Amino acid sequence: MNLLDIRNLSIELKTPNGNILAVDRVSLSIKEGEVRGVVGESGSGKSLLAQAIIGVLEDKWHVNADRFHWRGIDLLRLSIEERKQILCRDIAMIFQEPMSCLDPTTSIGEQLNEVLDTKQFKGFFWQKRKQRKEAVIKLLHKVGIKKHNICIKSYPHQLTEAICQRVMIAMALARKPILLIADEPTAAMESTNEGQIFRLLASLNQLKNMSILLISHDLENITHWTNTITVMYSGQFVEAGTTEQIFAKPMHPYTRALVDSSPNANLQLPAKSRLMALPGSIPILNHLPIGCRLGPRCPRAQQACVTAPKVNNFHGHKVSCHFPLTTSLRKDNY
Amino acid sequence: MTTLLDVKDISKSFKLKGYWYHKQQFTALSPISFTIESKKTLAIVGEAGSGKSTLAKILVGAETPSSGSIYLNGQRLKEQSFKQRCQYIRMIFQDSGTTLNPSLTVEELLDEPLKINTQFDEAQRKQLIRTTLQKVGLLGDHMNFYPHMFSGGQKQRISLARAIILQPQVIILDEALASLDPSLRSQMINLLLDLQQQMGLAYILISHNLGTVRHFSDDVMVMSKGKVVEAGKTIDVIKHPKHKVTKKLMMSQNFQLTHK
Repeated sequence: MNLLDIRNLSIELKTPNGNILAVDRVSLSIKEGEVRGVVGESGSGKSLLAQAIIGVLEDKWHVNADRFHWRGIDLLRLSIEERKQILCRDIAMIFQEPMSCLDPTTSIGEQLNEVLDTKQFKGFFWQKRKQRKEAVIKLLHKVGIKKHNICIKSYPHQLTEAICQRVMIAMALARKPILLIADEPTAAMESTNEGQIFRLLASLNQLKNMSILLISHDLENITHWTNTITVMYSGQFVEAGTTEQIFAKPMHPYTRALVDSSPNANLQLPAKSRLMALPGSIPILNHLPIGCRLGPRCPRAQQACVTAPKVNNFHGHKVSCHFPLTTSLRKDNY
Repeated sequence: MTTLLDVKDISKSFKLKGYWYHKQQFTALSPISFTIESKKTLAIVGEAGSGKSTLAKILVGAETPSSGSIYLNGQRLKEQSFKQRCQYIRMIFQDSGTTLNPSLTVEELLDEPLKINTQFDEAQRKQLIRTTLQKVGLLGDHMNFYPHMFSGGQKQRISLARAIILQPQVIILDEALASLDPSLRSQMINLLLDLQQQMGLAYILISHNLGTVRHFSDDVMVMSKGKVVEAGKTIDVIKHPKHKVTKKLMMSQNFQLTHK
């Protein structure tokens, strides 16, 4: 069963000069125990999407969707309070730049204490206090921090970035979430630390059957860790499918360019040769092109591209393009 | 081919707080020597705290080395000779958004190094700024814009324009490609490779993305704790890593290439 099922989610910004569609009809579904990657350049609306899922967007953004189901419950019909209750219980999120997300004025121990569920402790207050401390230490052990005594006493600025990210993950795990949303968990991190964090997330996924929504701007970094990938560009849905499908047989010109542009993926490429790159850069929100937003940069753009393409489904490999790259496949619309 | 930059036994150590008779020292860089030829790229790879940024700072003149000397075209660079140094060795930083002064237009930003280092009059300077902007793929009219009007990739191009405007011979890229989006990064790599051929530049690339290093560099130097643990041609080092640290680095990035 689908854990999260979102169909045609749009996020709109109301400005005096008219409305801006920052996210334009994006669909996303997550199965239980799955790691799904969301890939897009900065400004493609992937962080907005994550914030819309857990409902922490500011009031100026307007979210509407055709379907917004969480384990069969229609979230859009619930009142804000009920919705908050469900989301708090089941979904946790970790943000990029852990250093700036942790409170710099309180120690790690206190911050971890804050997120603990008070209902799980029983007995008199001194017993509760002891249980609390044990729970904090247990959480730290879970994310692979062995020196818990030092960690509890220290402040965020005294720890390295990778440890801070681990603390963030520990906080997210405190409520035993079913879905963890990781918004660029390894942005600006050393490659060795990056590996550690991804390995930790992968082990949590395997052992606790926790689903993970992994958001990243770099396709090549996350391909090893994900089962399925959704690619976004400038707020529009581009392509979704299993990791193998996306990486080995990309159908959208944009995904093709992403795969081609990474020197890691093309080991046969001679050194110092020109890399493939799309001209130009991602459009800013004030000047979005009509229709397919990749249009002005796309090498295969034709006249039909001024209208937004429909999503085609090739055996579970969804692509939103008028002229997908593999034409040999039979086109079956569901 | 002649040697462009020759670095001999550069080292750097910092004094730590200690008692009078227990003066402690922290060695950020053990003596390092290397040479670069023009049109070549040297990549420096290493973990955080391995001294690669200290080395870059010493080369560009922001730090004075504890010992050793740097020769450019056979001429020794003195510690105080900023004029000579900042003309021939330029640097591009990681975060282009914060290294550009937000209160100056692009023209003023690029004008400053010209005013200090050259004898050109105003019309010549303006012409040079225009051609440099075109060289890095921007328009000449962009010079009246402020940095906040540009996107991240364009800002990185402005930093590149500021680096090449004095016709340097060595450019140091301190993680200059790391924070860019993938498609912008490949555009930038293409641009840097073109400029290298046109102007005969030598690059020192500091990076931890081995894919970029493999594609971009001719020689590589792996550093750990202030020492060079492995150095050689990039292809050889990446294909047959010998030292433990290199292998570990390769391992931590290898999974990015392979499928499950």
